[in-house]
Formats: sequence, structure tokens, C-alpha cells
Amino acid sequence: MSFKDVLSPFTAWKHVLETPVTIKDPLTREAADRYRGFHKNDIELCIGCSSCEAICQNAAIDMVPVKDPKEGDSGLRPQIDYGRCCWCALCVDICMTGSLTMSNEYIWFDEDPDAFRFIPGVDAKSWDSSEKGYRREGGRRLSGTERVEMREMEPDLRIGNFDEIVAGYDRAEAVLEADRCVECGLCVATCPAHMDIPDYIKTIREGDYEHGLELLYNSNPFSEVCGRVCTHNCETACAARHEGDPIAIRWLKRHITDQVPYDRYVDIVGKPDLAKTGQKIAIIGAGPGGLTAAFDLARMGHAVTVYEEKEKPGGMMRYGIPEYRLPYESLDRDIGVIEAMGVKIKCGVRIGKDISMEKLKADNDAVVLAIGLHLGRSTRVPGSESPDVEKAVELLRRITAGEEVPVPKKVVVIGGGNVAMDIARSMARLQKQRHGEVGITVTALESFDHFLADEEEVVESREEGIEILDSRGPQEVITVKSGKNKGKVKGLRTWRVDSIFDEKGRFNPHYDEGDEMVHDGEMVIEAIGQVSDVSLLGEKLTEALEWNRGRVKIDHDGRTSEPWLWAAGDCVKGPDVINAVADGHRVAQSINQVLVAMREAKA
Amino acid sequence: MMQAIYDRLKDRFQLGALDVRSRKGLAFVDLRREFLRPVLTELRDVEGFTHLILLTAVDWIEDERFQLTYLLNNRQKNLDLGLRLRLDRNLAIGETIHDLWPTAATYQRELREMFGIAFPGSPRVDEEFILEGWTDMPPYRRDFDTLAYSQQTHADREGRETSDPREFMKQILYPKD
Amino acid sequence: MFSFQPDRSQYPAPGPDGKLEIDLETGQYLKLWQGPNHPGMTGNMSVELTVCGDEVVEGKTHVGYLHRGFEKLMERRSFIQCFPIVCRICVPEPDFNEYCYAAAVENLAGIEVPEYANWMRTLILEMGRFNSYMMAIGGMSGALGLGVVGQWLTYVRDIMLDRFEELTGARIYHMFILPGGVRGHLPEGFKDRMEEVLKTAERYLADVDKVMFSNAVYKRRTKGVGYIDPKLFEPYGVTGPNARAGGVAKDVRKDAPYLVYDQLDFEVPTETASDIWARTNVRRRDIDVSIDLIRQILKKFPKGGEVMAEIPNVLHWKIPRGETYIKGESSRGEYGYYLVTDGSGYPRRVNVRGPSYTHAMALLELLIPGTNISDVAALMVSLHTYPPEIER
Repeated sequence: MSFKDVLSPFTAWKHVLETPVTIKDPLTREAADRYRGFHKNDIELCIGCSSCEAICQNAAIDMVPVKDPKEGDSGLRPQIDYGRCCWCALCVDICMTGSLTMSNEYIWFDEDPDAFRFIPGVDAKSWDSSEKGYRREGGRRLSGTERVEMREMEPDLRIGNFDEIVAGYDRAEAVLEADRCVECGLCVATCPAHMDIPDYIKTIREGDYEHGLELLYNSNPFSEVCGRVCTHNCETACAARHEGDPIAIRWLKRHITDQVPYDRYVDIVGKPDLAKTGQKIAIIGAGPGGLTAAFDLARMGHAVTVYEEKEKPGGMMRYGIPEYRLPYESLDRDIGVIEAMGVKIKCGVRIGKDISMEKLKADNDAVVLAIGLHLGRSTRVPGSESPDVEKAVELLRRITAGEEVPVPKKVVVIGGGNVAMDIARSMARLQKQRHGEVGITVTALESFDHFLADEEEVVESREEGIEILDSRGPQEVITVKSGKNKGKVKGLRTWRVDSIFDEKGRFNPHYDEGDEMVHDGEMVIEAIGQVSDVSLLGEKLTEALEWNRGRVKIDHDGRTSEPWLWAAGDCVKGPDVINAVADGHRVAQSINQVLVAMREAKA
Repeated sequence: MMQAIYDRLKDRFQLGALDVRSRKGLAFVDLRREFLRPVLTELRDVEGFTHLILLTAVDWIEDERFQLTYLLNNRQKNLDLGLRLRLDRNLAIGETIHDLWPTAATYQRELREMFGIAFPGSPRVDEEFILEGWTDMPPYRRDFDTLAYSQQTHADREGRETSDPREFMKQILYPKD
Repeated sequence: MFSFQPDRSQYPAPGPDGKLEIDLETGQYLKLWQGPNHPGMTGNMSVELTVCGDEVVEGKTHVGYLHRGFEKLMERRSFIQCFPIVCRICVPEPDFNEYCYAAAVENLAGIEVPEYANWMRTLILEMGRFNSYMMAIGGMSGALGLGVVGQWLTYVRDIMLDRFEELTGARIYHMFILPGGVRGHLPEGFKDRMEEVLKTAERYLADVDKVMFSNAVYKRRTKGVGYIDPKLFEPYGVTGPNARAGGVAKDVRKDAPYLVYDQLDFEVPTETASDIWARTNVRRRDIDVSIDLIRQILKKFPKGGEVMAEIPNVLHWKIPRGETYIKGESSRGEYGYYLVTDGSGYPRRVNVRGPSYTHAMALLELLIPGTNISDVAALMVSLHTYPPEIER
């Protein structure tokens, strides 16, 4: 220690005249650009999926009703209790839409502690328009954004046959895909059958497939079918689709059915041990609507008989959907489960011909009309009455039934929906088998921006060598005018479509007549929609029933104006398996209520 | 290197398998109770594991046992070794090692308080450490439910109510289905 | 066997249970509580002193003033939900909790962290160390009544907190290192602003050297006081600067290099005196190392790259059964996380090894007897204690 050490501390005095470094006015000090301050929420972008609530380790977030729910939006929005919030911003990181962010505001005075609990974006705050504050860098990272690719048979391998194209996920793939689900349940409302989607996806992660299968068949006896061909409305409501791919819900459903041995199905689905009610129900049509109603009603203890006109049950699932999308074995497995519940299916019986409606009514406590849409519509353009002009549904039925169908080298399809794709791809397979090459042109009224068929159908059709032309309106089926081939079809003449609907939204196509094309083909297939064959009802019943735009009028529960008759499925709703399943449930529920009341009235 | 040390000790002290699944330079090994002191002494005095990193317990309530973990470090060789000792959960009495590492007394005092594991002979082991006036079960045991405790002890803030999206949508959009 | 017992020959001998029977009625002894509210205390703890005159006969550490049971809380939080709470285990240097926890989870989940994130983590840890030392040196001078150094270094810490704020979005609880990586890239112009902070710090530290380290009073009160026999280091689990002050160059950064420390050039400062002066001096010199490391890191910082590895959906992240111990060199010594998983979505057990646990409990109680009351604060601060890591 030296004298210097005594003097040295006094050097501190050199700072005495310096300006202080303290911040003069801390209340106006702006925080850094990334600062994690009070939350902001873009209320239009937010879907109320509650992932923010789920991740909050302090339970600072409540989901509160703010607007009416709609598809893919619960109408709930996060309310944050700043007495609990620890400003970790995990809610911002997990946010499925990117709507939830933070401002860099951190100074706020209020005497009322309850003011510090508010709904960002709804309760207006001074920082709502602030551009600064914490945002997650580089998108959503806390849950997967990319869908696990589905393996498919290569186009050149699949085009010559009707083998199933989609391979299905293996366990590892399915677990990866199931892992992406945030279990918000927004999809449940959108699924017509309100399947327990988050719950069955969870069983995949946990490897509890038997429970998964139980959940599936609880709400959908056509889970094998829907695991392959469902229109998956759920995926359009999926929270994951906002910043990435929606969860492959349909493929995950299929994965569960793939994993459980079929001989376990009936045990797992279970047949409720209920006393027989002694009440009888007749169901007309063994499609998804009729059979779902039959499944439910049989499980409720009723005696159910399903009458099917065709040789085999399944309706459009068998006779409409091609085998490469839905193998018949899958359909048969689902139907097998339904039969195991005690449902009797009588095929080859046409109501109105073999058995009258009156007799059905007399012999049963309730009757369900589930006849589907099996008559193809015609374009009625000149030449469409030619024998070489076919209807898609009719042709698909004949292919399924194993009947011989004409397979010319060049075929033109009119239509842009999934049925058009189905017939085009089916015919392409037959052409490949017969002629070694594909020659199909699909002409659709709609433009690709507003296409009706699923994107994947379009992609796969093209892969298989099918030419798809959009915005083409059919004007005439051109036939040979003379010679030995007189009357034979040789092509389709189309004009370009400028618009399909008029200002009032009515169907009224407008064409550019200068843009004319002729598509060569020895066959023209119309795939522009279907109607119901209601001739079985007979005159008296047709008169007695109330109708709505050509369809039997029903109430919310599917009951017609005749108290003993319910209607379900495509014949009263649009063409869609899952909607028909939902209808079947609804009708079964309603019938059961009525039958229970009848029993109680008698007792 | 860890393997060589293990091989030297394995048979003499009937050590369990060497678990090296975590990271490089770290291994865990199961130890029989009667060998705790000789193994620790040997590791400290012969094998260079002079540093007791920590001593703590894991409650495997489903197996009715506590795991005591003695984590040692050999600085020269950059090796960390965790010794795992099983204790019967219903007869939770450990052996004190405060004479090997005096600092172990603190760990043992904490284990006594938080897990209810006794260490007879450990200095001041029964003195309150972190909890004063605690009458409930030792709180780090798995069967102590922190949420239930918190709910009994504290009131929730009023006006808090949340909705589940799925249930809420059902209620509004399809209450009948 | 060790027998490092203080000389208590003048005082009543402890009983067979180790307890000291002191009869306060005699008027010879006085109980004096230093803390939990005391300017010479390092946070929320207290030392129960028994004094005879101004000499301390016995000191007992009391903790538990902020016990929140973090380790237990984590057992009912998912792996991602633990991330926001670990930082709270150490206020002045929270980043070690974030790093050790994240690295332990990554280790057991088998996740490889991107290179960029490793550099970022190293930078943050060094910034945290720098700030922690600012409090330690400031606190040291404060404990001896030299307030101005505390004020200066609080300012230096504050401008470093500004850098934390712009980098991580928060000043104290940064929550930037999460399992899988880090939350973002360096902001534009960060390096220049950091250099300004470092230059300012060096200017202030030069003044601190004159005012504190070359101060006759400071030297008199710290040299030879609070001596820890290096033979005690291993028995009492002494690590970090407390050991380095006694000539043992213990430093996890060197002994078991983690993150990118093996790509950085630095020496571990040591002293030999093992007293308060030596411990503080080691910290003072380690600040220079930290400053140099921050410069090196920023110079070698990757131009860009991923900040996060791919991790599973955190809402149902399960980690296979296993256990691991991850350690790092905090400003106070070896900091580590012992994580046990059982295959579920929650940790089975998390045990935080904070250096203060050994330093401020058994060791401090050993060092206190025989000191002067006025030196207790300096002794405690010289061990650099952060009580929350004792209680966790």
C-alpha cells in the first residue's frame, strides 16, 4: 500500500461537473423495436383457436366470445390478464395465424386493476396501431407447418389399372402429421358429422389405435370410406392452414383404420347391449345416408331392413366413386360392421315395383328415403340425344357392375366437377388397357380459378395424360351427317365462357362466340350433375308430399311432411358422403325420439 | 476413459450397467446401497472425482422408491459421473456423506425438508432450511399437489371465465346434433 | 477426513449434535440479524449472527424469503412452458438458466442446435456475465461504503441492458434462448452499438481501478480478510472466481468447453491470496476477459443462418425417459441443470445447481466465525451470492 493509494480515490472528483447520465424523462422513453410490451391482436385474422391459451404457463389468457362463430373461426378471442402475464411471448410464437403480436409499449397507468385485463384488438388501446414490438422471426416454429407428403403410385404404374393410388401413411409419417395438430377443435363444427377429430388424431400420437377406431365409428360408420374419399371440409377449417398446410385429417383417419385388424372392428365399435324395442324401420337405399341411419337405429335396438335396388349395397360409394380412389374391400368392411349391428340389407329389391310404398308404410313404424342421385343430367345441346353420348353416373355404374362399356380411342367429357374427373380417369384406364394410350379431353364451364373438382384430382388427371380445358361451354355434339357412320359422334363444339352467372347470380352463361373449338371424340360424356329418381314414390305419395325445388321437403331432423317418412342423404342434400352420414345420424336420432314416444304412449 | 474407470470398479462394487446415453463425458450408474461410501471414497481419493456437483433425489412414486443422485466431477479428465441409489420410499433413510464432502450436509438438509428423506448423523439436518412453519407433507414428493395447494390457499381472481372453441361452436352452431 | 472447524476455544463448545449452546442471558452474547432487509445483503436472505462485542461467534444462513418452488412448478409444466420460468431463478444473470435448461432438453430430445444459435447463446451468456460482474463489483464497493462505484457500474449495466433489450426484447428476463435455438438474429447495427457500450465500460472501469482497486481503505479492508483455504475448495464445492482467487483455475468454459468457447481465445484469470481482495480482483479481470470475448464473438459471428432447429409441436412435446446434467460457467461458478424425464410431456425432475448453494450455505457459515461484524457484508458479497439459486 502506498501514498498513491490514498490519493487515487480522489480522481473520482474529476466527474463532478459532468452531465448526469440518468434518463431525464423515463416516462417517454421508447422501448426497443423488439420489446415485448402490451399485446395487439388483429381481430379479423385471429380465428380464436385458443393455442395462445393452451401455451400460457401462467393461465393469463381466457377465450371470450366476441363475435358469432363461423367456419374456421370460433368467434372467441383471447383476453389477457396482465396480473398474470409474464411477457414471455410464447402466445405470439404459437399463434396459428400470426394475428397476435406485441407492441413495444410498457408504460401505462390506471387506478383500476381490472383495466389491466382486456381483449387485445377489441378493447381499443393507444398502441393498437404501433408498428414496433415483438414479432416472431421467420414464421411459426412451435408447431409443424408442412404436411407429410402422401406416397402415391406413379402415374405410369397406375394408369393401366384400377388399383388404389394412395399408399396411406405408415406409423412414423402419421405420428409426424398428427403431431402438427394443436387440438383447437375448429374442424369439429365444420365436419358435417362433427367427428371427434382432435381426439382421434391424439390417439395416433399415443399409438392407441383401438380407441381411435372407437372414436371414428362413434360418429361415422363409413370411416374407412371417408378416410379415402371424404371431401374433408375439416381441412378448410384447420387452424394450421393459415401459415402452412392444413393437417391431413382425412389421411390420418384412414391411417387409424389401416392399423387395426379388421377382425377387431366389431368388438371395438361395440354393439350396445340393449333390449330389442320390437319396432321396425325400413330404409330405402343402401348408400351412406341410409346405412348410417340403419347403423344408429340398429344400435338403438330397433329392427332395421335396408332395401337396395342394385346388386350390392353402397350406393354412390360403390357405383359412383372409382375403385382406384375407393377399393371395394374398404367399402365392404364398413358395410360389414353395419351388418354386424343387426342391420338386414336386401339387395336387388326395387321399391315401387317389387314392394310398394304402401306396404312398407304398413309394415314398419318408420320409413327412410335415402335414394341418392342416380340419374345424370343432360346438357340438351344439339346432338346430345345421340346413342354415343353417355351420362357419367350411368357409365360409372356399368364399369363397377362389370358390364361391357364402349371404349373409343378419343373421348370428350363435359363437366368440371369430381364426377367428371372420375369418369375421365376411369375411361382413361380402360383406354390404356384397350388401346395402350389415353385420349381424353375434359371441357369445363368453370375457369381454373373457380374450379369445382379438387385440386389433387386435376393434378392427378393431368399426370395420367388427360387434357383439361377450362372455360369451355358445350354448343353441339357433332355427328357424322352421312355415310355408313351416319349418326356417330365425331366431336364436341365449344365456345369460350366469358361469365357463368348474371348480375343477379343466376346461371346464365355468356360466351365468346369468336373463340370456338372442336374437340374430336367418338364419345361424349356428360358429367354436369345428377337428379333423384323419385318415380318409386308413386303418384299418390308424390302428391301428398311437400316439395322444395324438386326435392322432397324436410325439416331440420330430416322428417318429411308425411309423419312416417324421413328422407336423408344426396336426394335431399348435396352429393357428398360425409353429409349423407351426418344426415343419417340426424334422421336416426329423430326417428328414435318418435319411436320412443310411440312406445311410451302405448305403455 | 469413463469405461476404463467403470471397468476397474464394476466387479468390486457390483455396479449396475454404465448409462452413457445422454451426452459425451457424462455417465450414470446404479449403485447398491452398501457400496455408497466405499465407491464415493474410491472415486474421490483414487479416481480423481473430487468435486461433488450435487446431491438430489427423484421421486419414482409409481415404483415406491426414491432415487438419490450423487453427481461427481473429475476436472482433470473432464468427466461427470452420476451415481444412482435406490431408497425404499416408505423407509426413506439415506446415509450421510457429510464427512466425505462437508457441503453434502446442506443437500441432505434440503432433501430431509423437501422429500422427507432422513440422513441420521448429518449436522443440523432437522433444522428448517427453506420452509418455515411447513406442516404439510414434504412438498417435492410427487404426491404433493401444488395446484390443489394453491387452490386451497389462494382465491382465483373474480370474473375469469374461458370457453373451449369446440364446445362454444357446438353450443352456438349445432346445439341439437 | 477433513476437520476444518473454526477456532472456538474462547466460546462455548458445540454440543454433540453440532449445535452451539449460547446463553444470551449472560449478556456476553447478542443475536444480530443481518438481513433480509439490509444494504449489505446480497438479495433476499439473511444471516443470523451471534456476536460477542464486535466479533462474530456464529453465523447461520437463512433462506426461503422468496421460495417459489421452481423445480416443483416445472413438474407440472410442459417442456416449453418451463422456458419462461427458469430465468427467474437468477435475476442478475438469468441466461444461464435458459441455456442450461434448453441444452438439457435438447440433449434428451436429441436435437442439434444450429451454429448461429450457438454463437448467439455464447454472446448472450457473456453479456450476462458482464452484467453480473457489474453488480458484483458495485455491490462489493457498496458493502464497504464506497457508493460511487456502485452507481457508475449500475450505469454501465444499464447500457448493456439496452443492448439486451434491443436483442432479446426484454431487459431483465430475456427469454431468448429456448429449447431448439434462439428467438432471432442480431439486429441491424448491433455490433457498433455494442462496441460503444464496451468502450464506455472500459472508461468507467479505468476509473473504478483508481477509485476502488487502488484505494488504500479498500485494500486494508479486503486484503487478508475472508481467507478461504484452497484445501476447502473441493470439500465445500467451491467453483468459479471463488476458487480462481485461490489459485485453482476452475472454469467450465475451459475445463469442459460448451457452445463455441473452444473457438475463442482467452485465458482464465487467477489470483493466489484467496481473500476478499483476490476474489474481487479475479472478477475485475474476468470483466476484461468478457469484454474481449464479446468482441471476438461479434467479430466471428456467422453472417446468417437458422436460429432454430426443427422441434416437435410444443403443445404435446414428449421426451423419452432419460437423465442428463448440463453445466456452464456462470459469473459465480459452475451452474448446472440436472433434468430427468420419464417419457411424458413434463419433466420428472429438474434440479438446479447454483454455485451460491454451496458458497453461501456451508462455506459462509464456516467463514463467518471470528470475523468482525463490519466485515460480514464484504465477506458475503465477495462470495457473490444470489439467493434464489439456493432456494429455487
